[in-house]
Amino acid sequence: MTPRRSIALCILIALLAAPVAAANIERTITSSGDDLDVTLTVTGIPVGGIVETFPDGCIWKETDHPADRTRISGQQAAFAVIGEETIHYRVQGSPEAAEAFTGTWEDLLTGGSGTVGVDGTHDPGAGKTPVETPGFLPAAAFAALAVAYRWRCGR
Amino acid sequence: MTRRLILLACALCLLTGVAMAVPCDRDGDGTLTAPELAAAILDSLDARQMGGAVEAPPPADLRDAAFVYTHWGGRALTITDTSGQTTTLTRPLRRIALFNSDSLEMLRSIGLEPDRIVGVSKYVLEDPIFYPEYQGTANLGSVWSPDYEQAASVRPDAVFLYASISRSSCDEIEDTLSAIDPGIRFFRFDSFRPTVYADEVRTLGLLLGKSEDADRFLAFYEDATGSVAGVVDTIPVKDRIPVYLENWNDYKSAGKGSGYNEKIELAGGMNIFGDNPVEYPAIDPEAVISRNPGVIVKIVGSGETTFGGYGDDDISSFEQVCRAISDRPVWNQIRAVRDGRVHIIHTDVIGGPEYFIGTAYFAKWFYPDRFPDLDPRAVHRQYLEEFQRLDYDLDRHGTFVYPA
Repeated sequence: MTPRRSIALCILIALLAAPVAAANIERTITSSGDDLDVTLTVTGIPVGGIVETFPDGCIWKETDHPADRTRISGQQAAFAVIGEETIHYRVQGSPEAAEAFTGTWEDLLTGGSGTVGVDGTHDPGAGKTPVETPGFLPAAAFAALAVAYRWRCGR
Repeated sequence: MTRRLILLACALCLLTGVAMAVPCDRDGDGTLTAPELAAAILDSLDARQMGGAVEAPPPADLRDAAFVYTHWGGRALTITDTSGQTTTLTRPLRRIALFNSDSLEMLRSIGLEPDRIVGVSKYVLEDPIFYPEYQGTANLGSVWSPDYEQAASVRPDAVFLYASISRSSCDEIEDTLSAIDPGIRFFRFDSFRPTVYADEVRTLGLLLGKSEDADRFLAFYEDATGSVAGVVDTIPVKDRIPVYLENWNDYKSAGKGSGYNEKIELAGGMNIFGDNPVEYPAIDPEAVISRNPGVIVKIVGSGETTFGGYGDDDISSFEQVCRAISDRPVWNQIRAVRDGRVHIIHTDVIGGPEYFIGTAYFAKWFYPDRFPDLDPRAVHRQYLEEFQRLDYDLDRHGTFVYPA
């Protein structure tokens, strides 16, 4: 193999080798008035399922996840994951409740499973939920507007 | 009685229909859509974790549905193997038995998970250095002496056989195992023939949900073969060097249509017995003298030359074979012997899925001036590390070519 071909091959393989991240779901909760905005960040799970359990006293409000991929029952919300990398949902509840969220996930392609908020699979430990301020929805909207503005200005 | 037979036939048709349906395809239109998959996932979560009373799909169906949706676009997959046999699948293959060890190596190149292999040929079990992860897997015997009891006992959903060699033996295996379990699917691939190699990698990638890994491997493979072909294409046919190839049996060469003939041509050589209609003809030593090859290549690693390869670090047997060829009566008149262009190569790098490493050596031996930067050893090392995922130190172990 010539040096030039070797370099080209290394670049090609690097491009083709999509990073195979370990399956994992992280939960971030931000407090916004009487509401708790929850973001689930899905990594390495192309097709799977999530069940979130929010504490007593919290009341389900809404989600940006498609209605036909979401099911609510009591204090639990189930999400079907088909290619999504983030899921946002909102419940009414006090900031103190943020620490009491729990959740599990399943990767239907590998058969792996785990706990939301914990790195790796089959980890029985409870997930620690980071709490942030301000609310993620206004911040995300602002970021999207900034990107759109830069794009329109051709920068 | 007639009514019973009709009922039985209907029941069998119904069962076959169910077995052939894409799992979780609720409307039965043959396409598993995202909403259908989502509904199945939610029903499963609801029933198992949320106390719901919904009818949920079995876990195996749900996993198969996820595979079919992700890798086959939600539809049944119809593939044609190298023998021309067409098979339609509605579920992934999860229990594969292989009589073809070459295909096992190809499957490793495309990253197939070892736990999907439930049975291997005896040759895999006799090679713990190259196949460490399969030691302990069920021994199916060989194509020529299959262990049917063992093969049936591992309950394979698919059996892999050779496409173009040992056809009658492979036919017999297929007939026998089909009679034991009609649900087994049979696939025939060679995994060592250059003309179908890339197609087989792609087909296996699609079949097993490893298309991305297959593309990555093919990028490597096509670079390795392309670096040879790009130079060989510029050499006029009349200028191509005549080559005598001998396999592990003395005076047994490669004729028209054989894989070795193809490999000589890929490296730009002109096989002096390439016009022989017999695939592996026994030749007269004087015919070699009269055709006066510029290069002689002897393959070792089988028959009376069972040495070398991954499990042997001693090159002395290669030296002896090389010397013996040069010492054959009157062969000192052959150009290749006079010029010191007799080369020994182990079948591990020319006979199977690694053949492109061997053709790189061939090219370098045939045209040393045209391939100054070609490094077959580097190709070999990358193949072992990145695609075979083997912890094998090529600088310290193994004997594959002589002179090195």
